[in-house]
Amino acid sequence: MSDPSTATSPDVLRAHAEQQYAAELAALDVADDRPRPPSWRLSPWAVSLYVLGGQLPDGTAIEPKYIGSRRLVEIAIATLATDRALLLLGVPGTAKTWLGEHLAAAISGSSTLVVQGTAGTAEEALRYGWNYARLLADGPSRAAMVPSPVMRAMETGALVRVEELTRIPADVQDALISILSEKSLSVPELDEQVQAKPGFNVIATANNRDKGVNELSSALRRRVNTVVLPLPDTLEEEVEIVRGRVSAIGASLSLPPDLESLSEVQRVVQVFRELRSGVTTDRRTTVKSPTATLSTAEAISVLTNGVALAAHFGDGTVRAADVAAGLLGAVVKDPVQDRIVWQEYLETVVRDRREWNDLYRACRELG
Amino acid sequence: MPVQQSVWPLGIRHHGPGSARSVAHALDELGPDLVLVEGAPELDQVVGLLGDPEMRPPVAGLVYAVDEPRRSLFYPLASFSPEWVAVRWALAHDVPVRFADLPVTHQLADPPEGDQTAPGHGPRPDPIGLLAAAAGYDDPERWWEDAVEHRSSSSLERFAAVSEAMAAVRETDDRPPDDGDVVENARREAAMRRAVRTALKEGFERVAFVCGAYHAPALDPATYPPVARDTDLLKNLPRTKVAATWAPWTSGRLALSSGYGAGVTSPGWYQHLFDHWSRDEDPGSPDDSLATTWLVRVARELRGQQLDASTASIVEASRLATTLAAVRGRPSVGLSELDDAAESVLCEGSRVPLRLVHDSLVVGHELGAVPDGAPMVPLAADLARQQRSVRLKPEASSQMVVLDLRRPGQLARSVLLHRLRLLGVDWGAGADAGGTTGTFKEAWDLEWRPELAVSVIEAGLYGTTIQSAASAKVAEQAERSEDLATLARLVGACLVADLPDGLVPVVASLEERTAQQHDVLAMLNAVEPLARTIRYGDVRGVDVAGVASVLRALVVRAAVGLPAACNALDDDAASAVRTGIEGADRGVSLLDDEQLRERWTAGLVAVAARDGVHGSVAGRVDRLLLDAGRLDQSDAAARMSRRLSVGAPAADGAAWLDGFLAGESVLLIHDPALLPIVDAWVAGIAEHVFEDLLPLLRRTFSRHQPPERRSIAEQVRRLSGGSGPVRAEESAYDLELAMPAVERVAALLGWGVTRD
Repeated sequence: MSDPSTATSPDVLRAHAEQQYAAELAALDVADDRPRPPSWRLSPWAVSLYVLGGQLPDGTAIEPKYIGSRRLVEIAIATLATDRALLLLGVPGTAKTWLGEHLAAAISGSSTLVVQGTAGTAEEALRYGWNYARLLADGPSRAAMVPSPVMRAMETGALVRVEELTRIPADVQDALISILSEKSLSVPELDEQVQAKPGFNVIATANNRDKGVNELSSALRRRVNTVVLPLPDTLEEEVEIVRGRVSAIGASLSLPPDLESLSEVQRVVQVFRELRSGVTTDRRTTVKSPTATLSTAEAISVLTNGVALAAHFGDGTVRAADVAAGLLGAVVKDPVQDRIVWQEYLETVVRDRREWNDLYRACRELG
Repeated sequence: MPVQQSVWPLGIRHHGPGSARSVAHALDELGPDLVLVEGAPELDQVVGLLGDPEMRPPVAGLVYAVDEPRRSLFYPLASFSPEWVAVRWALAHDVPVRFADLPVTHQLADPPEGDQTAPGHGPRPDPIGLLAAAAGYDDPERWWEDAVEHRSSSSLERFAAVSEAMAAVRETDDRPPDDGDVVENARREAAMRRAVRTALKEGFERVAFVCGAYHAPALDPATYPPVARDTDLLKNLPRTKVAATWAPWTSGRLALSSGYGAGVTSPGWYQHLFDHWSRDEDPGSPDDSLATTWLVRVARELRGQQLDASTASIVEASRLATTLAAVRGRPSVGLSELDDAAESVLCEGSRVPLRLVHDSLVVGHELGAVPDGAPMVPLAADLARQQRSVRLKPEASSQMVVLDLRRPGQLARSVLLHRLRLLGVDWGAGADAGGTTGTFKEAWDLEWRPELAVSVIEAGLYGTTIQSAASAKVAEQAERSEDLATLARLVGACLVADLPDGLVPVVASLEERTAQQHDVLAMLNAVEPLARTIRYGDVRGVDVAGVASVLRALVVRAAVGLPAACNALDDDAASAVRTGIEGADRGVSLLDDEQLRERWTAGLVAVAARDGVHGSVAGRVDRLLLDAGRLDQSDAAARMSRRLSVGAPAADGAAWLDGFLAGESVLLIHDPALLPIVDAWVAGIAEHVFEDLLPLLRRTFSRHQPPERRSIAEQVRRLSGGSGPVRAEESAYDLELAMPAVERVAALLGWGVTRD
C-alpha cells in the first residue's frame, strides 16, 4: 500500500492525526520560517496551512483537513496563540473534534491529551487522581498521584482537548475555571501548585443541538473564545468533504472500493441537504424535515457502510441498494413521524427524478 | 514647460482615511501654491464655504440642472475624505483651491443625437482590484489598507509609487477606444489636464492635484498629449444650466447600501481610524491603542444593549485581534479582525449581537451641517418661503398643533404638512385631535429634526417646488405600486395634500390595476377611500370625474365577485372580508348614486342567498340588507331562526349573531320578533357547547353600551314571564331631565312643541 497512513502504522484501525500526517508536518516544519509562539511546533501560519491545505514552496502538497471558512480557522488558531481557551461549538457532525485533533497535532505535535466528557466524568479526570495502593502505603506524594491529561498538558506546555464539554456535569466543569484563569492547579494534599508552562491551552468542543446537556456556566463562557462551526455551505463543498473522508476511512478498513463511481456520494449528500433544509435543491418543492440532525458525519457513515456492503456482499461497486439501508437508518430516527417524512420525500421528490429511479426502487423495497 | 517638477498628482483612494492622512502630510511637505481637487468645477463658486466654522462634515457637494433638479450629482465628503482634508488645508493656509473635472454641465445635458458614449457600455476595470489580485489579495480594500494606507514612510514618495503602479494597471486595459466608459474617462482627464495647463499659464509653480489614484498617471505633465487633442475631446459637448451648493449628509448615506452612497461600507470605522491617526501622530505603537479604543467602543455599545461585556474581555478581544492580524500576515489590525475578535470573545461566537451595534458603530450616526449662507436647493428655498407664508416655524422641540380646516390659513398649513409627508420629510406626525369626530379638525405633532434637512435635499430631486415635487413623487409611486389599497390611499393623500396634478396619474394607474385585479378583497378595501375622494373632493376643487368612473367599475366588479369571494373562509379571512364589506358599504352609502347602490346591494343579496357562507360574513350581510330596507323584519326573523336552529352548529350561529348584531343594538330592543328567537336559541344550547360559546356571545353583547344592555336584559326578563315594567324605555330614560334637551332639538328642527 502506498498510502502514508497505513505505511506508518499498519496495525491500528485509526491512526492519530500526527501519525497519519507525519510527513506533512515534517515538511511544514522544514519550510516554516516564521516566528513560533513558545512551545509551538509550527508557526500560526503553518498551522493554518496544515489545516486548510495548500502547497509548500518546495512543492509538497498539503491535504486540506478542514474544508470551510478560512476565517473561522484563523480565529481558532489565533485564540490558541493567546492565553484564552478555544471552544468549538456546532451541531453534531460539523468536524469540531476533527478540527480540534488536527490543531493539537499541528501545534503540540500530539493529539493524545484528551478528556472525553460524559455525564459520569469526575473531577479527577480534569485535575488529578490517586493511585490508592501507593497512597495507602506511602502517604500522599507525587509518585502516588495520577495526573489528568489537563495536568500533564500544563506540565509540558501542550494543548489538551476536552471533548463534549457540555456533557460534563456543571460542578465538574467548574474545575476548569481556575485552571483557565490562573493557569495553575493547586494540590492541597502536597501543598504545592502545578503551574502551566507556556504553550498550554485547552480546546473544548460542545454541541448546541443535543438535548440533555449541561449549560456552560457564564463564568466558563467568559474564559473561552467561541468559534461556531457551521454546516457546509454548498453541495459541492459537502460532497468534497464526504468523498475525502469516505476514501480515507475505506483505506484504513482495507476496503477496496472503486472511488471513481462514488456518484452515490453526490446523491446521499443531496438527500441529506434537502431533508435538512426542508427544500429541494432547485428550491421548487418544500419537504418536511425529520427529527434527525442529518449531519455531514452521518452522511460519511452511510457511505462507509455502503462501501463495506459493496465490498463484502457485492461486486465492489457502490450502488443505490448499498446506501439505501443506511439512508433509511439515518433519516428515520423516530419510527412514526420520521417514517412519514421519509415516505413523503420518496414519493414527491425521489420518484420524480428519473435518474434516481434505482435509488427509489431500492428504498421502496426496504419499506 | 519648466524643467523642474511643477505638478504633483496625489493619487488617492476616495474616502480612504489613510489617503487623507497622507494627503495632509504631502501638502505639508510640498507647500504648494495651488491645490487642485478632483470634483465638479461648478463647486468652485461655493468652495469658500467649506472653511466656514459652521460647515460640519459629512456634507455633499450637489450640482443639479436648474430646470430639472432630477438630474443631479452628489459629491459626498466626510471628515476623513482626502478631498475634504485637501480643501481645508488650502483654506487654512490661504492657498487657492480649485476643483477640476469634466464640468457637470456636460454630464447632465442630454447627449446629442448619434453620440455613442451613453454610459454603461463596458465594465469598468477595477484598477485597485487588479493590483490587489496581483498581490494575492481577495479583497481590494484590504490590499490598499495594507500596502498603501497602513504604511508610514514619506508621503510624496508613496504617491509617486501609487502613480507608477496605476500606470501599470492602465496598460492592461484593453477595452476599445469607443467604449463609453473609456471615452468618458478620456474626457474627464482632458478636462483635468486643461485645469492644470490653465494653472501653469497663470504662473503657479507648485501645483498639488488630489485625484483618484486611477487618474494620477494621466496628470503627470511629462505624459501630456498635445493640447489640440484635449481641446478636440472637449469640443461641442452639450451643456445645460446647472447650479451648485452644499447639502448636509449623513454617515448612513455614505455607506454602500444607500442610494447615492460613496461606496464606503464602514464610515464609522474610517472615522475612528482618521480620528485616531490625527490625534496620535506618534508612529511608535499606534495599532494597539487603535484596536483597544475601538473594542472599548464596541463593548460600551453592547452594554447599552444590555449585553455583558467586561473590561477583561476587551483586553482578551484586543489580544485576539492582534494575534489574528499576525496569523493573517497583516501589518496591522483591521476591521475584519476586530469584528472576528469581538464575535468570538464578546459575543460567544454569535454574529447577532454584533449586528445590533453595527449601525451605530461601523456606520455611525454622524449628521453634517451646512452654514446658513450656503445657496439653498430650490425645494429648500420653496419650503422656507412656504413656512414663512403659512407662519409655521421649524422648531427642534416637539409641539402640538391643532388645525381648523375651515379657516384658509390653517388649511394651507395642513396642505403643506401633508405634502411634506408625501415627500418623506416627516416634520409633522398625525396626532389625535381629541374628542371630536368632525373631519374639519386635524392635530399634528411637529418636530424639526436636523436629518430632515437631508430628506429635503433628497426630495429636491423630484422638483423645484413643494407642490410639483410632491406631485411627481406621487406619480412615481403610483407607477410602481401594484396594490389597489396603496393606490387608493395615494388618492386620499392627494386629496388632503391638495395635489390635483398628482391625482391624474394615480387614477390612471388605478384604472389599469383595477382591470387586472382579481382579488375581491383588495377591491373592497379600495372602495371607501375612493368614495371619500369623490364625496369631499369637489369641495377642494379636485376634478373627480375620472375617479368616479374608476370607482363605478370597481364597485360593479367587486359586487360581481363578492359571492365567490365569500366561499370557504376561515375565521381570519372571514373577519377580513367582513371589514372589507363594511368599508365598501360605507363607501357606497357616501355616494348619491342610486344605480351604483343597486348594483352593490344586488351583490350583497347574492351573498345572503348562498349557504355555506361564514356566519360572521352572512350575519353582517343580512344586517346590511335589513338596514338598507332590502329585507323586511319578518325575513330577518326567518333567517335568524334558520341560522340559530338546532340543526345548525352552534358556533356558526354565534358567529352569525356576532355579524348581525354588530353596530346598533336598538334592533333587538325594538323588534318584537327577533329577541325571542335569540332567547330561545340561547336557552336551547347544550351546556358544554354553551361554555364554548360564552366568550363569543359575551364579546358580541359587550360591544353595546351599558344602558342598551340593560334594556335588552329587561326585555328578556319580560319575555320569560317576569313581572318587569311593560315599557323598558320608561325606566331607562328620565323624561323630566331630558325634556329641556328634547324641546331645544324640536325648536331647532322647527317643530312647535309645547309642554303639557
